[in-house]
Amino acid sequence: MSTVDLLRAHAPAAPERLQHRVLTMRPVGRQRPRVRPVLVLAGAVTLAMGAALVHGLTTSSQQTPHSFSSDAASSTVARAAKAPALESPATHAAGVAPAQNRLQHEDASIRVRVRDVGGATNAATKIAAHFGGYAQSVRYRTGISYLELRVPTARVKQALAQLADLGVLASQQISIEDLTNTLERQSAQIAQLRRRIAALNVALRDSALPEAQRVLLQIKLAESKRALAQRLHGRKGTLTAGATARISLVLTTQKQAAAATHRGRVGRMLHSAVGFLALEGIVLLFALIVASPFALALALLWLWRRRAVDRLLME
Amino acid sequence: MNAASPTVGLPRSGALPSYDEVVAQQLDAVYRYLVYLTGDRSAAEDLTAETFEKAFRSWRRFDPRRAAPRTWLCTIARSVAVDWFRSETRRRRREEQYAREQPLEQFGDDLPGPVEQALRELSPGEREVIALRVLLELDGPSAARVLGISATACSTRLSRALKRLEEMTDDVDG
Repeated sequence: MSTVDLLRAHAPAAPERLQHRVLTMRPVGRQRPRVRPVLVLAGAVTLAMGAALVHGLTTSSQQTPHSFSSDAASSTVARAAKAPALESPATHAAGVAPAQNRLQHEDASIRVRVRDVGGATNAATKIAAHFGGYAQSVRYRTGISYLELRVPTARVKQALAQLADLGVLASQQISIEDLTNTLERQSAQIAQLRRRIAALNVALRDSALPEAQRVLLQIKLAESKRALAQRLHGRKGTLTAGATARISLVLTTQKQAAAATHRGRVGRMLHSAVGFLALEGIVLLFALIVASPFALALALLWLWRRRAVDRLLME
Repeated sequence: MNAASPTVGLPRSGALPSYDEVVAQQLDAVYRYLVYLTGDRSAAEDLTAETFEKAFRSWRRFDPRRAAPRTWLCTIARSVAVDWFRSETRRRRREEQYAREQPLEQFGDDLPGPVEQALRELSPGEREVIALRVLLELDGPSAARVLGISATACSTRLSRALKRLEEMTDDVDG
């Protein structure tokens, strides 16, 4: 008989008392279904995708109340036929037209596809000058031109319409910022400072004023004058901003403009969802980077314990 | 050493055996494993009871699709035995002298003296792999899983342990 057979034949049996001892114990409760890691992972992925979709849905329907934008359709749209598909900037601007008796700053960004970028750039600067404005900056390179134009607010609609007529309007965005409150606040501060300066001047004319107090009042007067100068400068800037509109014009050839593709609601939603997913991925990556030293330490501890057990049993 | 042996446990079909069935089928196996591992029947008895006690507590978490009941119980038994070994080591250091009388018949019922003696000479780790593969008839992967090593390492450990055992048995006989 081999050693293996011998060991099997004489294997020890559990004593009766042990059987009795063990059988008196019973498990508590019913079997709980085990949650599989794959299912947990699938759930987490579904949750992440769902959150991204919800984020995409909510953000795709949002629009800034004071801004309007639109993108052009296909590049083959003829200039004559483009009107029904894409309204003129002037028409769009009507939707967010400046309110009467209010000081408002208008900011427009338009992209126009043209055949000749150089010629269109010259024409654009002429249009700005024609409406009493000027070109603040012009950057031109082959196939594309960036212009920053300043045009009187009262004539911005006409200027935009003429600029759009340089070619095929690819996209536009018009925003209006109300400056009335800012101007009123600045005017009130200026009036207050003027009153204060007048009062200080009156006080300083008093010959009975002690020298120490006179010096103090003179310092206050100087501070008030400086503050007044700042406020006046600020109000001038506000008035200038309200008087002139800024137009950011991009002139491109048809090839360059092809990059600016139409993005509908679904497109925006998908774009937003993908962006959100990327953000989730970054957060996950960050969490992994933070957790990795701890995981490494735990793995080393586990390895050390396993070796310790091996040493204990192999002695 | 056939894994399909009815004593090994239930197949990984997902069907949950009743607790009484598991006790009836696996008590001897766990006890034998612990006898070989500790080399002490009295300790093995206590550790078997402790193993089943732990198994009761985690019974709801037992998934028969992941491991056969015997493999699962042996894993618990090993963890219990390792704790026992640690406390034994500390106790021996404290008492400085370990002069405990070892009963003659420890590893088997009516096992020939030379084999009993040879088993005593083996390390707990060597006896453990013999118990798992020979007495409990666990297959290679299951035994390796209990030991926390690869199937190849388990196979190597078994062949070395059996070789040593046979050598020592021959020496005693000779």
